Amino acid sequence: MILNPKDRITTPQTAVIIINFILGTGLLTLPRSSTEKVHTPDVWISVIIGGIIAIIAGVIMVKLSQQFPDKTFYQYINEIAGKWVGSFLSLVIICYFLMTSGFQLRSMAEVVRYLLLEGTPTWAIIMIFMWVGLYLIIGGINPIARLFEIILPLTVILFLVVTFMSIKIFEIDNLRPVLGEGITPVLKGVKTTALAFSGPEIMLLLIPFMNQPKKAVKALLVGVSIPLIFYVITVVMVIGALSVDGVVTRTWPTLDLIRSFEISGLIFERFESLLLGVWVMQIFATFSISYFAAALGLAQLKKKSIHPFMFGLLPILYIIAMIPKNMNDLFKLGDFVGHMALFLFGFLPLLLLIISRIRGRKI
Amino acid sequence: MKMKEWISKIGKKGKGTDKDKQEANTSQDSTDQFTDNFNLNLEMVKQEIGHNWDVHFREFNIGRTGIRSIIIYADGLSDKEIIDKHIMTSLMVDFSAEYKQDLPYIKGSISKEFIKNEVLSISEVEEVGSIKELASKVLTGSTALLIDGLVDALILGTTKIKTRTVEEPVSEALVRGPRIGFTESLVDNTSFLRSSGEIENLSLVQFQVGKQSRKDLVVAYIKDIVDPELVQEVENRIKKIDIDNVPESGYVEQLIEDNYLSPFPQVQNTERPDRVIAALMEGRVAILLDGTPFALIVPVTLSMMLQSPEDYYERWIPGTFIRLLRYLTVVLALFTPSLYIAFISFHSGLIPTKLAISIIGTRSGVPFPALIEALFMEISIEILREAGLRLPKPIGPAMGIVGGLIIGEAAVQAGIVSPVLVIVVALTAISSFSIPHYSIGITLRILRFPAMICAATFGLYGVILFFLLMTSHLVKLKSFGVPYMSPAVPYRLSEWKDLMVRMPLMMMKRRPKMMHTKNPIRKG
Repeated sequence: MILNPKDRITTPQTAVIIINFILGTGLLTLPRSSTEKVHTPDVWISVIIGGIIAIIAGVIMVKLSQQFPDKTFYQYINEIAGKWVGSFLSLVIICYFLMTSGFQLRSMAEVVRYLLLEGTPTWAIIMIFMWVGLYLIIGGINPIARLFEIILPLTVILFLVVTFMSIKIFEIDNLRPVLGEGITPVLKGVKTTALAFSGPEIMLLLIPFMNQPKKAVKALLVGVSIPLIFYVITVVMVIGALSVDGVVTRTWPTLDLIRSFEISGLIFERFESLLLGVWVMQIFATFSISYFAAALGLAQLKKKSIHPFMFGLLPILYIIAMIPKNMNDLFKLGDFVGHMALFLFGFLPLLLLIISRIRGRKI
Repeated sequence: MKMKEWISKIGKKGKGTDKDKQEANTSQDSTDQFTDNFNLNLEMVKQEIGHNWDVHFREFNIGRTGIRSIIIYADGLSDKEIIDKHIMTSLMVDFSAEYKQDLPYIKGSISKEFIKNEVLSISEVEEVGSIKELASKVLTGSTALLIDGLVDALILGTTKIKTRTVEEPVSEALVRGPRIGFTESLVDNTSFLRSSGEIENLSLVQFQVGKQSRKDLVVAYIKDIVDPELVQEVENRIKKIDIDNVPESGYVEQLIEDNYLSPFPQVQNTERPDRVIAALMEGRVAILLDGTPFALIVPVTLSMMLQSPEDYYERWIPGTFIRLLRYLTVVLALFTPSLYIAFISFHSGLIPTKLAISIIGTRSGVPFPALIEALFMEISIEILREAGLRLPKPIGPAMGIVGGLIIGEAAVQAGIVSPVLVIVVALTAISSFSIPHYSIGITLRILRFPAMICAATFGLYGVILFFLLMTSHLVKLKSFGVPYMSPAVPYRLSEWKDLMVRMPLMMMKRRPKMMHTKNPIRKG
């Protein structure tokens, strides 16, 4: 029936959702957060290792979900872990998605306030953003996927244009020496960089929506590799231009990079407005998909329609976003969310996969 | 007396739906039917339509037999020449010579087969038994012939179709392409489709819409291309139309569209037969209504609204260039004024310093905030556009010049607006007019106002959110089951050959996949 299409998404759409989910705050903060840990110019190696770890974790999650190709995590967890533990884990994951959502919301508001709207109160910035997000997710997974497909090409083009313009102030010396202090500093940063790739966890929920669940691994690989390229480019360009010491002292090093040069002769001499536009759209993507994931979780837990939960979560998200008092609190929230992700999606899926395999054999 | 009452009742009631009419016909046959009493029949017909000034009754005797007979026709709708030459002459002059030698002649009566087969030299002859049918036929231009002694009436096709000459479509002018535009006559319009080439599978299915004034509506599609479910859906929606009168296809459009709250048109209207044929070949369905030169095409996508047939008639390089230009104009028409407001009133630091200084310098005398300034200009230009449309043709251009001067030059000199804004407004207006569809052009012109308000409240952030909101709406929108944003999303690289660019015809071998066509191959 063309008039009642099933709420299904294609494999490329799945990949696009993962890309958009991963790209978020990390684009602006990753250079600093990872350089703080590594303290050598080899951050880009950490980023690549982080990406590989994310792919491995993602593949585990996909394999787990593929055992129940027509169920989301919230539905099959009960079969693996029993009703009580299952419901508890579902709730934790819902909390995770809510906090991710809230964290993205607040970071966006902070950046917008910092660069665009100095006098505007945070609540105003957050509220209209949430309403637009709500309007989108009411339509279900299909409009979400289609919107992501529209913003992704915009992101890629504008981001690459803007980043490569900074080639003017790029100095290769800032990136030398490669592995000057050995591999140890690089490994210190891996945890941070791996967390910047949090996003494959959406695969726990997406597989039942895919029209070809068997191709999930392919979607995941593409979905993580493209952000990996983005991150490597960002880190290399930012460190190359601002040097390791310059990066550590800045809150939003990527933005500062774009602000630090002017190219005359083009319509805009400064490009941070373009980057910011792209970035707000990316945050919108991350925000709306995790919002959707949380609402979906509650709906499936209670086995009810999803719409009341979407509306009901709106004030909760607002509260989460308004909890951090300042930037430090905000980054602490980010770290907390990261640690949650590390446990929930680094170790838990592997455990569940093993349990379900063993149980599967018994049956 | 009883019968008269009943006839007048039917006369009032006759305006119900077809179903009511049928019920009336079957339940009370005896009184609506003709009897063998000529005078009574005549009386009944006069009761039904005799009060209309354009309905004429002409009574005469057939040949010189003394058999009474009457023709009833509507003045202006029927062709008097045919009535005189092929009906009256045959019955009054030629008949007399023949009938006396003829065997079936029995004095005082006459067989209707004889009249039909040997007397009347008219292609369309039909027998009707009920007065209602007779009335509706006469009022659409046929001539009714009643003969004493015959129970049924003969309806003779004498309709004179008044058509205007075929002209170039006004709303969709092209440099290259056929100069034919649809007219107000449905018959003409369907004949344009038929004559655009031999298409055996072109189906033209007739419907009637409107309760008080019934109008013919034709659903056109190509049988071995179109998805039957789509045809079914279109027909269902048309059958559901339940309204007094359908004056123009715009009514049909609004009654069958998916989302009436959306600012975006979900049905395409066109005056060009070539465009309709092209759409049919892609597996779409066209709807033609009698009395309007605008045909409707469903389903549509946003990208289709931004295309012009010329993209295909020109070679692919100019076609692609023009198409890319058009996408640019969409962005300009939507966002230039709002970006102006955002940058002037919030982020003057983000535009080049020299430009910022010069803009702010020219704005120094302007007493209003950027939003008011921009709204003032944008609304003036909308008024000017509307006035130019309504004014009689000789005054229109003069008015345009005066208006242009006033809101351009004079407003700047008076210090109400800045010269940069005049450029912005002019750019916006030109951009919105360069979009080949009037209906989508006006949508964009409307949407730039909310965009400006968003820009005035939240600056660049507001513009981005407006873009996200609009895109969220667009990805949700569907036209007859086809996503409005396809084929842009979901990604289908094979169909991008005909989206932003127009690849060489050699490469476009398939019909659009979203149409679920029966036969996907367009070119071997």
